[in-house]
Amino acid sequence: MHEGSIIIRLPVAVSEIEKLNALVRRFGELHEVPSRALYAVNLALDELVTNTILYGFDDPENQEFEVRLDVSGTELRGELRDGGRVFNPLEVPPPNLDAPLQEREVGGLGLHLVRSLMDRLEYRREGVKNVLTLAKRIR
Amino acid sequence: MQIQEDKQGDIFIFTISEHLDTASANPFETRLLGCIDKGELRVLVDCTPLEYVNSAGLKVFLLAAKKLEAVQGHLVLCGLAPSVLMIFEMIGFTRIMRIVPTREDGLLALREGDAKA
Repeated sequence: MHEGSIIIRLPVAVSEIEKLNALVRRFGELHEVPSRALYAVNLALDELVTNTILYGFDDPENQEFEVRLDVSGTELRGELRDGGRVFNPLEVPPPNLDAPLQEREVGGLGLHLVRSLMDRLEYRREGVKNVLTLAKRIR
Repeated sequence: MQIQEDKQGDIFIFTISEHLDTASANPFETRLLGCIDKGELRVLVDCTPLEYVNSAGLKVFLLAAKKLEAVQGHLVLCGLAPSVLMIFEMIGFTRIMRIVPTREDGLLALREGDAKA
């Protein structure tokens, strides 16, 4: 595993999610991040970025989001910054996993995955930006 | 994403490809729910090629399972890779969906009609 970081800036559009996924995978492979940690961080970023893209902006045109990835020490860390509406994903209530099938709801699944997959999650508002940081242990 | 459709007797089989994400969930939802709307009651989704699924894809399985249960139909999933199965467990779907190892297991479960989760 090699230490290093990358900053990715992409337009706020559904078509960019796949691009982000490919870049995260590539970064992880180049830095020899264990595949389990890479998979988890990739999926967590996918969920968070998808929320931002679908619900973060009234008018997503000409808007960007930024993802920073950092391998150092014992962690793979990610940071997502967007200038969308104030939204703290950590406040979304978890789905009821014990509910019978007909009562299971489709909302909240993605954020539940994010919380389950990551070892650390923090949200803060910085000026007009949402900043979500996440971390996954890699050894 | 590629979605292959087959039929064996009264069992409708979907085979899905590597990525089930936000972009590919919509066409999959249209086809899977569409076949249930047309009256298919025994549906097998073969996930053997699937490597990556996010919540948009998981939502499609949940909608299909609910829809089928409401009409006394059955949904069975097979061939989930360990990384995919881990996600299904995390989200609690292994408690509400019938998930079996192989396509043969899936066909057998649906033929026997004991496919309820």
